[in-house]
Amino acid sequence: MKNLIQDTLSRIKTEHIAPEPKWKFLLRKAGAWVLVGAVVLLGAAAIAAAYYLISQLDWDLYRFTRRSPFAYVLPMIPYFWLILLGAFILAAFFGVRRTESGYRFSGLWVVVLVVVGIALAGFLMARAGFGSRLDAMMRGVPFYERSIETQEKQWMQPEEGFLAGTVRSASENAIGLDDLDGEQWNVKVDEKTLVRPAADVSTGQMIKIIGTKQSARDFSAAEIRPWMGHGMAGAGSGQDNGCGAGKSGSCGNRGNMMRGR
Amino acid sequence: MAEEKALTDAHLVELAKTDPESFGLLMERYQGQLSGYIRRLTRLSPDDVQDLLQEVFIKIYQNLNAYDRDLKFSSWAYRIAHNQVVDYFRRSGARPQTDVLEDYEWEKIVGGGIQLEKYIVNKDCAEKVKACIEDLPLNYREILILRFVEEKEYEEIMDILKKPKGSVATLIARGKEILRSKMEERNINCF
Repeated sequence: MKNLIQDTLSRIKTEHIAPEPKWKFLLRKAGAWVLVGAVVLLGAAAIAAAYYLISQLDWDLYRFTRRSPFAYVLPMIPYFWLILLGAFILAAFFGVRRTESGYRFSGLWVVVLVVVGIALAGFLMARAGFGSRLDAMMRGVPFYERSIETQEKQWMQPEEGFLAGTVRSASENAIGLDDLDGEQWNVKVDEKTLVRPAADVSTGQMIKIIGTKQSARDFSAAEIRPWMGHGMAGAGSGQDNGCGAGKSGSCGNRGNMMRGR
Repeated sequence: MAEEKALTDAHLVELAKTDPESFGLLMERYQGQLSGYIRRLTRLSPDDVQDLLQEVFIKIYQNLNAYDRDLKFSSWAYRIAHNQVVDYFRRSGARPQTDVLEDYEWEKIVGGGIQLEKYIVNKDCAEKVKACIEDLPLNYREILILRFVEEKEYEEIMDILKKPKGSVATLIARGKEILRSKMEERNINCF
């Protein structure tokens, strides 16, 4: 046994073995946490993008289809980002576990830490508009385009009764519309057509229309919304026009569509 | 030298960073424990155990600046030994040899591990029980050795294996369970 100690000491001396500098270990420790931080940021980016996709969709359209709310909502969930988010949560969990002291934390505590961290950073990124930029960057990726439900896809289903595009012309009873694919439509409007308060039906404005396809390029409008949002904003302005969720039938009429023309 | 011998491990670590002779004292303190641990895990010959132990000491020396004073030095040293053993098996592709647990060591596992009587009635039965323990997969055998032979606390085992407490408890419970079922499979009922 004595020999082992002497042998080891003489090996240390002859081979000039020395303790590795402290900064190397500190760098390694910091590197592990930086990696965790990077994964948390990636998870946050996934949340921001998922939130963006969710927020740009109109979730109430099932009312105008024959599908149940559940069947309608299911394909609209941004699975691409949610799967990535799950993967990043897992990666961050194991990242924390692999840090020098990660094994000392309870699993639940690590999960809470990771989820809260990702959610907070995701909230900030979403607020900063990072989600839309990330989504725009990803739009060139073929698989991505196919895997997500977009506002464009949601509103370019004339057979289902949903149409969107830019107003080419507008009159008392009809709107000329260039849809998102550049096709021209004649949209019939009557006194029953509900025009949401924030919808600006004037030339050059983008709108969304709920209605019925009459023929190849003819569409009858039951409701008109602005391109962004449900069009409830602007309903106030000191006047109560009866707008509100579930009260769409009493929310404005085609009188609104002449605004700005 | 006598003064140095009275120093704590953490103080000796600080001294050893600049003076390898102080590291000799740390080696003296832990060579017995670490040698036994390596022998029980690897089942190598005494010479090979010594070679592996020297590698462990060199590794410890090279990593002195990584030592975290929140840990017990022994836990940290055991961790390096554990890593070195795992690395040894990976590099050499070797499988553990058999039959290196001393009688008193496996009795500790059986006694503590599955709450059976410590006294074995006959030698033949003792050999069978020993074979069951030797047959356990390395991770279970290691954790039972750490808990019942090395008599380490859960916190120490956590620090050695870098595993959370829940995983340590699960490994110990599963290890005991596997040992019990192996004994049942072989109709060992001689306690």
